[in-house]
Amino acid sequence: MNTKKKGPAAVAAGNQKRPLLVSLRYYKGFYLMFLPVLIFAIVFHYLPMFGVRYAFYTYKGIKEPVFVGLQHFEKMMKMSGFWNAFGNTITLSVIKLLLNTFMAVVLSLMLNELRSATFKKVTQTIVYLPHFMSWVVTASVFTLILSPSDAGLINALMVKFGIVKEGIYFLGDKNWWRPMFYIINVWKDTGWGTIIFIATLSGINPELYEAASMDGAGRLNKLRFITMPALSNTIITVLILNLAKVMNLFESVFVMQNDAVTQKSDVLHTYIYTQTFNSGALPDYGYTTAVGLTASLVGCALVLICNKASQKVRGRGIV
Amino acid sequence: MKKKATAFDYALVVIFILISIIMIVPIYKVLIDSLDLKTAYGMKLFPERFGMAGYVSVFTNPTLYKPFLVSCLTTVVGTITGLTIATLGAYVLIQWKMPGRTLFANLMLFTMIFSGGMIPTYLVMKTLHLTNTLLVVILMPAINVYNMVLMRNFFEGIPDSLFESAEIDGCSPMGIFLKIVLPLSKAALTAIGLMYAVSYWNDYTHYKLYITNDNLYNFQMKLRSVIMGSDLPHAIGGATENTVKNAAVIVAILPFMIIYPFCQKYFIQGVNIGAVKE
Amino acid sequence: MRVKKMLAAGMAMTMAASMVLSGCSSGSKTSGSAANAESSTATGETAGKNDIKKPEKITIMVNGTVTTKPNNREAFEKKWEALTGIDLEIIQPDHDAYFDVLGQTFASGPENWPDLIILNGSYYTGYAEEGALWDMTDAWNNSELKASGRVTGEEVIDNTKINGKLFGFPVARRGGCLTYVKKAWLDRCELKAPETYDEYLNMLKAFTEGDPDGNGINGDTYGVSAAGFVGQGDPSSNYLPEFYQDAKPNFEKGEDGLWYDGFTKDNFKGALTRLRDAYAAGYIDKETLTNGTKDCRNKFYEDKFGVFTYWAGTWASNLKNNLEANGKDGELVPLKPIKEIGAYEEGTAPVWAITSSCENPEGVFKYFIETMLDGGDTQLLWSYGVEDVHWSKKAETILDNTYAEGQFHTKESLEQPGTQYTKQHLDPMLSIVKWDEDPGKDTVKEEAKVSQELFNKNCRQASIIPSTDVMATYNGDLTTLKNSIVADVVVQGISIEEAYARFEKEGGAEWSKKIVDSLNEQESAK
Repeated sequence: MNTKKKGPAAVAAGNQKRPLLVSLRYYKGFYLMFLPVLIFAIVFHYLPMFGVRYAFYTYKGIKEPVFVGLQHFEKMMKMSGFWNAFGNTITLSVIKLLLNTFMAVVLSLMLNELRSATFKKVTQTIVYLPHFMSWVVTASVFTLILSPSDAGLINALMVKFGIVKEGIYFLGDKNWWRPMFYIINVWKDTGWGTIIFIATLSGINPELYEAASMDGAGRLNKLRFITMPALSNTIITVLILNLAKVMNLFESVFVMQNDAVTQKSDVLHTYIYTQTFNSGALPDYGYTTAVGLTASLVGCALVLICNKASQKVRGRGIV
Repeated sequence: MKKKATAFDYALVVIFILISIIMIVPIYKVLIDSLDLKTAYGMKLFPERFGMAGYVSVFTNPTLYKPFLVSCLTTVVGTITGLTIATLGAYVLIQWKMPGRTLFANLMLFTMIFSGGMIPTYLVMKTLHLTNTLLVVILMPAINVYNMVLMRNFFEGIPDSLFESAEIDGCSPMGIFLKIVLPLSKAALTAIGLMYAVSYWNDYTHYKLYITNDNLYNFQMKLRSVIMGSDLPHAIGGATENTVKNAAVIVAILPFMIIYPFCQKYFIQGVNIGAVKE
Repeated sequence: MRVKKMLAAGMAMTMAASMVLSGCSSGSKTSGSAANAESSTATGETAGKNDIKKPEKITIMVNGTVTTKPNNREAFEKKWEALTGIDLEIIQPDHDAYFDVLGQTFASGPENWPDLIILNGSYYTGYAEEGALWDMTDAWNNSELKASGRVTGEEVIDNTKINGKLFGFPVARRGGCLTYVKKAWLDRCELKAPETYDEYLNMLKAFTEGDPDGNGINGDTYGVSAAGFVGQGDPSSNYLPEFYQDAKPNFEKGEDGLWYDGFTKDNFKGALTRLRDAYAAGYIDKETLTNGTKDCRNKFYEDKFGVFTYWAGTWASNLKNNLEANGKDGELVPLKPIKEIGAYEEGTAPVWAITSSCENPEGVFKYFIETMLDGGDTQLLWSYGVEDVHWSKKAETILDNTYAEGQFHTKESLEQPGTQYTKQHLDPMLSIVKWDEDPGKDTVKEEAKVSQELFNKNCRQASIIPSTDVMATYNGDLTTLKNSIVADVVVQGISIEEAYARFEKEGGAEWSKKIVDSLNEQESAK
C-alpha cells in the first residue's frame, strides 16, 4: 500500500532511464493536459504576484509609488503589535488546525462504524450544516449562547447547576477567549472536514475487512491495520496543505475579537486590517504588503519544512 | 457480515445524537428567529409570534430571481471548470517520472502561499478585460491547488495494474484519464465537486471586488444587501429586521441541505476498486 | 511543437504582465469636449464666475446614499439630465464595496478617475493630502449659493476645511447621536429627565436595581447599553457621552490652536474611572464589549435597558415603532445634553469632492454641487426623487395611508415593498440651506423632528483631523492599544496607573507624541 506509485508511462517503460527527448515525446500528451492548469495559475496567481514589489515602496493608490527599500520591514520589526499578531497567528491557527483535523478524523471513523445507513445519512447531513453559516452569523449566535447574562445558554445552565455563581464573560475575558475560539471552530468545521476522510474511507476495499474478519480481527485491529494506514496519507496531505493557509487566518478572528482580548487574538491579517482602516489616514499598501509578504514567507517555510519531513518519513512529499 | 448490535453500537448512536444536538442548537436559534415576528434577543424553544413574513420578504424582493439564476449558473459551470482543472492537474502530477513534474508541482504549491494582493490582482483582471464579466468569478476560483492535491491523493489509490492493462490495450493518456481514472474516482469527484460547489455558491468576495454591474450579482450578494438593507428597520408584512435577516441565512443554507443527501450515496457505497481489479 | 506553443503562451503572458507593470491602460477621459471649450475661452481676459462653462458630461462615483438601481436610478438620472441639460454617468458600486472599488479606480490611473466622488472621514483627508482632490475654496467663496444667503449651515462647511482649504462639499449635516430615555421607565421610578451627571447616575441606579419595566422583579434590567466602549472609527458614534463628558480618546485641537491627544489628558482618566465604576455597579450592560449596534437595539426593544444613545432624527421613530411592535411602551424622551457634556458632538459630514483630474471643475461645482441645493426642482429631486416614481401629489392610498389630491406624499419603496420612502440623497432635516418650499415638511414624524431639532440646537462640530504620514504609520497600532487599555480598565478593573504604565511601556505614549508633533508641524507649515 505504501510503495511508490507509478504512472502508466513508468510501467510501460519499465524502470530504466530514458533520454530526455524520448521522454518528452512520450509525455507530450500530459504536457498538453497540463497546459490549461498552467495558464490558470499564471493568469490568476503569477501575474498579480508582481504586486509584492510594493513591499519596498510607499504606495497609497493615488500618487506614483515611491521606493523606500527595506523601511517597511524595519518598522515592522519595531512594532510590538506586529510581533504580538505574529505569535498569535501561529498559535491560534496551528492549534486550530490540529484540533479540527483530529476531530474530523475521529468523527469520520465513528461515522464509518455506524451500522444504520439512514441514521448515518441523517447525522452526516446535520454535522456538516454549520459550515454553511457565515462567520458573521456564527459569531453573533455564539456571542448570545456564551453571553454572561441569563440569556446565555451555557452560563444559564452553569448557574442553575451551581457550577458557577455568576456568568462568565467567555468572549470578553483574556483567559477564556482562545478556548472558545477553538471550540467554535471545531463546531463549525469538523463536520465539513469529514467529507474528505469519508471519501477516502469509502475507497477502501471491503474485501480487506472481510478477510480480516475471517482472521478473527476485532474492530480495533481492523482500525489499526486497515483503516488508519489508508487514512494516514490523506491526513498528512490535509495537514500540510492547511499549513500553507496557516498565516491567512482572518475572518473567524475578526468577527469574534473585541478590545479586551486583542493581545490574545490579534492575528496578522486583523493587524493589516487595523492598519488599513483604523489609522485615520489613507492606508499605505506598501506596509500592508510587507506584512503580507512576511506572512507568506513564513507559510512557505512551514510548508517546505513539513514537506521535507514528509519526504523523509514517507518517501515523498505531498505534491 | 451482519452481526448483532453490541453495546458499542448503542453507545455510538447516543454519542451521535448528542453531537447532532450540539450542532443543531445554534442553527435552530437562527431558524426560530426567522419564524418569529417578535424581535428577540434571547433563546427560545418556539417562536413567540409565528409568521412566515421573513421568508416572504426575502422571496418577494423583486430582484431576487436573477441573482439566484446567476448563482446557479456560476456554481454549475464553475464546479465543472474547477473539477476539470483539478483532475487534469492531479493526473499529471501523479506521473512521477515525467520530466518537469517537480517543477510543475512546486509552481502549483507556490500559488497557495503567495499572493500579489488585492490591487495588483484587480489591475491584472482589468487589463485582461475580465472585470464585470462572469468569467472572472467562474475562472478565478477554479484553480484551487488545495483541491488539486487532494484529488491527486485519490488518484494514487488507483491500482497500477489498471493503468498497465489499459496501456497494453493501447489507450492514450487522455483515454486512460477518461475511461479509467474518472470513473473510478466518483467518491473523490463528489467530495471535491461539493467543495467547489460550496465555494462558488458562497462566493461573495470575488463579486464584491470584480463585479460592479448589479445585473451580474449572485444570490449571496443580494442576500447581503437584504441583510444590510434591513439594517434600517423596514417592517415588511410584520417582519422585523431580525426576522428578515435570519430568514435570509436559512435560505442560503437550503440548497445544500437539498443536494447533499443525493451526493451521499457516493460516499457510502464507495467505489469498489477491488471488483475491477483482476 | 508543444514546447514552442508553451513558449509562445509564456511570451504572451509576459507581455501582458509588462503592460500591467507599466500601468498602461486604454481608458479615455469623458469630459474632453468641455476642456476644449474651456481652452478656447482661456484667451478671454476674465475668469469671473459668469465665464464658467457648462460641462457636457459629468461622471460620478457614488455609494448607496444616492438613489440606487432597484429604486429606479434611471428615472432619477433622466430627470436630472432634463433639469440641467448635462449628460450624467453614474458609477455606483455595491454599498459596502464602495471604498474598495474607489481605491482600485484611483490606482488604475487618473485617466479613469470620475469627476465627482463621495468621501467621508479619513478617506476625505487622505485623498486630499495625496492631491487627488480639487481645491474648491475659491469656487465656494465666489459661488452664487454662498451669496444667496440661504446657507444656514456655514459652520458645517467651515468645519470641512482642511488647514483652511475646502476639498469637498458637505451637502448636508452629518447628524449625530443623542440620549433617549424610556418615558414609562422614568415614570415608574418617579424620576424626571436628568440634567446633571449625578441625576443621570441616579437614574441608571434606579433602572438597574429597581423595577422600571414593571414586571414585578427587581434587578432584572440595567441602565444603559452600547456597542463597545470606544466608538469604532467614527468619532461621532460615541454611545456613552455622559461618561466621557469632555474627554476624548482621539486627537483634538485645543483653544490655543495646538493639537493634543485626548487620551493622555487627565480628564480622560476621569472618564475611565466613571466608566469603570458604573460598569462594576452593573449600570452598563455587561456585554458592551461584544455588542453590535443591532444587539443593542434588540435588547432595547426587549426592555432590557432604558437609556440608549443613538441617532437623532428618523431613528427616533424607528426606535418607537419597534418598541411598540414588541408590545412595549414606545414613548422616548430625548435628553438635553447633561450639564457636564454641554453639547452633543456632530461628526464630520460626508462630502462631494471633485477629483483633480476633472477638466472643468468650476463647471462641475456650479452645475452639479450648487444646483443640488438650489431650493427648487433639483433640490427636490435630490431630496425626494422623481415625481410619480418616488413621490406624488395624486389622490391615492399608499399602504395604510390615504392621501387627498394635491397632498404631497412619498410612494411605496421599490426596493423594500411594504415601506414608504422617507427621502433620497438629501435628508431635509439635515439640510444646510433654508428651503421654504420643502413640500415634505409636514410628512416628517413628530418624534423625529423633535429629536433632530433638539440635536441641532445642542450640538457642536467634531474637529476634522488631517492625515499625516506619521499618523498613517502609527495610528493603527495606537488605536488598538488605546482600545485595549480602555477595555482593561473598564471590564477587568485594572487601576488607572497600571493602565497608563502599559500605555507608556508598549510605545503608545511615544507614538502619540510623534503624531501630535506631526499634526502641529503640518498646521504651522500652512
